[in-house]
Amino acid sequence: MNDFISLERIVKVYPPSVLAVDSVSVEFRKGEIHSIVGENGAGKSTLMKLLYGLIPFDSGTVKMNGAPVRFHTPGDAIARGIGMVHQEIELIPQYAVWENVVLGAEPVRGPAGTLDTKRAIELVRQKIDEFQFNLDPLAQVDRISVAARQKVEILKLLYRNVSVLILDEPTAVLTPQEIPQLFAELKRLRDKGNTILFISHRLDEVLELSDRITVMRKGKKIATVAASETDKEALAQMMVGRQVIFTSKRTPHARGASVFEAKNLSVARRDGLKKLDDVSFEVRAGEIVGIAGVEGNGQFELVNSIMGLAAPSAGTVAVGGRSLSGLSILERRKLVSFVPQDRGKMGASLAASILDNAIMTHHRLEARFAAWRGLVLNYKHAREFADTLAKRFSVQMASRQNQFRSLSGGNQQKVILGRELLLSTPFFLMDQPTRGLDVGSIEYVHGEILAMREADRAVLVISADLEELFLIADRILVMHRGQIVADLKTEKTTIEEVGRYMLEGRVSA
Amino acid sequence: MTRKIVSGLLGVVIALAVGALIMFFQGYEPFATYAALAQFSLGGMAPLTTTLKNAVPLVLTGLSAAIAFASGPVNLGQPGQLVFGALAATLGGLYINLPPALEIPLLMVFAILGGALWSGLAGLLRQAFDMSEFIVTLMLNMIADFFTAWAIAYPFMDHKAFSPMTPPIAQSGWIPDLGPLNSSVLVLIAAVAIMWFVFQRWRAGYEWRITGQNSLFARLGGCDVRSNFMAVMLVTGALAGLAGGLVVMGGPHRFIKGLGANYAWDGIMIAIMANNGLIETLIYGLFVAAIQTGALGMELITNVPSEIAQVLQAVLVLVIVATREYAALIFDRLAARRQASVRKERAA
Amino acid sequence: MNILIGLITGMISGATPILLAALGGTLTFYAGIFNIAMEGMMLMAAFFAVLGSFALHSWVLGLLFAVGGAMILALIFIFFSVVLDTDEFVTGIALNLFALGSTTYLLRQIFKVKGVFTSKAIVSVPNIRIPLIDKIPFLGPIVSGRNLIVYLAVLATILCWYLVFRTRFGLRLRAAGYNANSLDSSGVRTSRMRIEALLLCAVFCGLAGAYLSLGYVTLFAENMTAGRGWISLAAIILVDGHPYGIALISLLFGFFDGLGLFLQSYGVSSQFTSMVPYIATLGALYVYARRNRERERNRL
Repeated sequence: MNDFISLERIVKVYPPSVLAVDSVSVEFRKGEIHSIVGENGAGKSTLMKLLYGLIPFDSGTVKMNGAPVRFHTPGDAIARGIGMVHQEIELIPQYAVWENVVLGAEPVRGPAGTLDTKRAIELVRQKIDEFQFNLDPLAQVDRISVAARQKVEILKLLYRNVSVLILDEPTAVLTPQEIPQLFAELKRLRDKGNTILFISHRLDEVLELSDRITVMRKGKKIATVAASETDKEALAQMMVGRQVIFTSKRTPHARGASVFEAKNLSVARRDGLKKLDDVSFEVRAGEIVGIAGVEGNGQFELVNSIMGLAAPSAGTVAVGGRSLSGLSILERRKLVSFVPQDRGKMGASLAASILDNAIMTHHRLEARFAAWRGLVLNYKHAREFADTLAKRFSVQMASRQNQFRSLSGGNQQKVILGRELLLSTPFFLMDQPTRGLDVGSIEYVHGEILAMREADRAVLVISADLEELFLIADRILVMHRGQIVADLKTEKTTIEEVGRYMLEGRVSA
Repeated sequence: MTRKIVSGLLGVVIALAVGALIMFFQGYEPFATYAALAQFSLGGMAPLTTTLKNAVPLVLTGLSAAIAFASGPVNLGQPGQLVFGALAATLGGLYINLPPALEIPLLMVFAILGGALWSGLAGLLRQAFDMSEFIVTLMLNMIADFFTAWAIAYPFMDHKAFSPMTPPIAQSGWIPDLGPLNSSVLVLIAAVAIMWFVFQRWRAGYEWRITGQNSLFARLGGCDVRSNFMAVMLVTGALAGLAGGLVVMGGPHRFIKGLGANYAWDGIMIAIMANNGLIETLIYGLFVAAIQTGALGMELITNVPSEIAQVLQAVLVLVIVATREYAALIFDRLAARRQASVRKERAA
Repeated sequence: MNILIGLITGMISGATPILLAALGGTLTFYAGIFNIAMEGMMLMAAFFAVLGSFALHSWVLGLLFAVGGAMILALIFIFFSVVLDTDEFVTGIALNLFALGSTTYLLRQIFKVKGVFTSKAIVSVPNIRIPLIDKIPFLGPIVSGRNLIVYLAVLATILCWYLVFRTRFGLRLRAAGYNANSLDSSGVRTSRMRIEALLLCAVFCGLAGAYLSLGYVTLFAENMTAGRGWISLAAIILVDGHPYGIALISLLFGFFDGLGLFLQSYGVSSQFTSMVPYIATLGALYVYARRNRERERNRL
């Protein structure tokens, strides 16, 4: 057993009282792919950030080759050959690939620290060729694909000669087709003697890729096992602490009349590029339609057109037969409930109280909220409303006066979901409804969505999580380059088929 | 709530300590200076009522800035809105002469309209042309300054006076004293109460607050963000304008050069110290008024130049804000350390 | 002809302090700092320039004092904004007020006057006559004979451009503004880049302030920066920070500044002529906003 890197009894507390990492000990070997799995909030990301020196830990020891080390900044870790690629790819979009790669270790010439551009580009090209990465060093980063950006992040570290690569949920941003390529590259790196630490919650991938797997739950390490000696059910049980069911709870339910209809919807830029290209589809009462697709293929414009944030260049959107064109956002909210992708940016005000967040939109649409000619808010009714909402949706909060950000991610989503559900609209739009939530909350949200279906509402779910769509959606539409390229019945298709549509826009013969 | 009070008090104490250091290095006796400050601002009926009267434009402009910042629009135009309000009230008082019961409210309305006009202009430029109100209000400040300087030097000048100023306004427009207290203080209390009620209990206030925190969320929730923006600009301009009007009506009764010069910037500072809270603005406004009032009297007996009050104020802002933000960090870190040691004991 | 020459030299004079302050500000702008303290830095510099020159009978020392004065403000900014992570907007406004209060107070304390301090003992920064160039018709009197700081400003513009776009420092500086997280994970501390940017800004603003009190005129008056710091901020925003763009915009403002004085001799009252640069800023902002709208529409 060559303990290359060992973590001993690491503890990290987030003020005021959240134990993110609870006395975790684990060791990594040279030349292995070691995955760390756990659900959202289990502490796997945090553990690696502690090792990397991004955040300080409160107690414990880190050892490399038996000797204790302490990384105070990522720079220290990199100097010892350890590099981390984060989940949120943090590159400089305005810079070219080479500028991003050499930043912080730039070759210079002359007394004034002038950048040696030629040499820098050459060095980057060398590394690209060495690892067969297929990148253009001069390409501007905001113009290349997400998978390519991820490679740039890895390249950055290889340029600095790291031998240990920590990857945080790298497949979250890739299509099913791009994943095998990444895995091939990682295995190649391992075979050259590098160590890969792979953070993920996707058990199939982890089982395919890793040599060994460490499972974390609620900040504690549960076990470290060899991939060959375990399976998906065992891992899931360790991750969640109880049996997890992987099959869909969806029962057959008859569809009703058409509720939502998009007809020839197009959103074009000034230069003619169509971000949304002649999109037509419908959602019926009692049906859940899922939209799959790599982010950036028109979903953003679709949401904007439906919600009224931006007018389409052509086409119409109608709910219950009523066209939404020209309607103010408030008017649309009488017909459309919306759970947005980014809780903090669009779904809530983190600084406001839970109460203030709960009553949004209701405060304008429901007469009971108005007092004195609609000028004053009836706070008594508002408080009752918030309490009812919290009870019905099992929101765990200390006081409705607390700031919204004091709630956990799952509880925040419950408040938002509850608020939107209680609007009693015929049509429900949801964008990445379970992103970043723990398994318990995910199950809860899925349950509520299926209940909407039972109640004959029309639901449209945009999601990057194909497994989720296969669990809850009746039909799956695939968006590619602004068009709907497939309309598939869930029972009649597979994840692979959907993935191919997502990446190529069609199923090649 | 307790956190707010503790960090606020801590900030004030540290700021006064820094101020004391500065005074010490200037060769002045800090305690005597502070004692004189307190004596001349709060020690007795006359100083107290003067402090309260001086607080009026400070708190009103503070409210203007606080409400604006908390609701989204970056209205830094209180200096310009104040002088425009003052000018409007002065002109009204020069050409209209009604009995006091009518004249005083009328002039206040003029002041409000004057301020709202100037802030409304900035709001319009934003809504129509997407011009940043941050820069526009700053430029309009300078323009208003020059415009009013011209107005009192040419068309409305009092030719009997020795420096540019308007003739005095009609006596019926002079704000009377209620006993020892100038009744502009009553106007202030009313304004604070009304604005608090609007901001915390009205639907408009709710939407303003949410828009200020996350305008996209407010928009998606169905709030009329454009109307709200304009309404906030107008209301906050009105408050600053009212301040200007009250300065003229309760003070020199005419528009003189340099009138209200620093009040508005001090008001902005007060809003910052108060973290845009309305009641806190009132409290900090009174505090700053005390410093300014006390400084004038202090100069008479201790020979410390009154300008040191300005230095003190700037130190106050920096230290109070920094303390507040840093205190929050420290509180959290202490709580975390407590948690970690508890865990350590349990694990051992 | 002489009028034209006068207008152009007036334009250069008006442009110089704005240009220097804006160059300093643009370094902090690129670094991702919301720096609105140029006004305060310039004012401190103007005061300390007079102090140094008066007390030590040397304009060189006056310049050094000016930079020192601006540095005091920069250090306070760094302490509160970078070390304590206080909001930058708040820090900037507080520092501007601090500068106003301190200079007014020190004016009274040290020079025992209120309003303005002037004295024959203040050594001003000299104008430089360039021997052969000053014989060229029309261009000669414009290019030669300007104040030393004007030439320094021209040099500063080129230096600034080179620093930002050709050096390692510049690559990291802009990275700090584009994506601080990315820079941090590259092993360079964003806070360090921001500190360096603020210190350099102080140097530039120091020169700007010194020009006001030792070059343009030779005196110190309360609040003599008169909003130029805000105009330089507008300049930065209008051209998205690029040094050459800033030079052009500064010349524009300088022109309007000079135009104001010119109009005065035609009977337009001084208050209206003083308004001209600020109205011009509004006009430039209008054009900028228009252009942005077009850009947004094209991107969507």
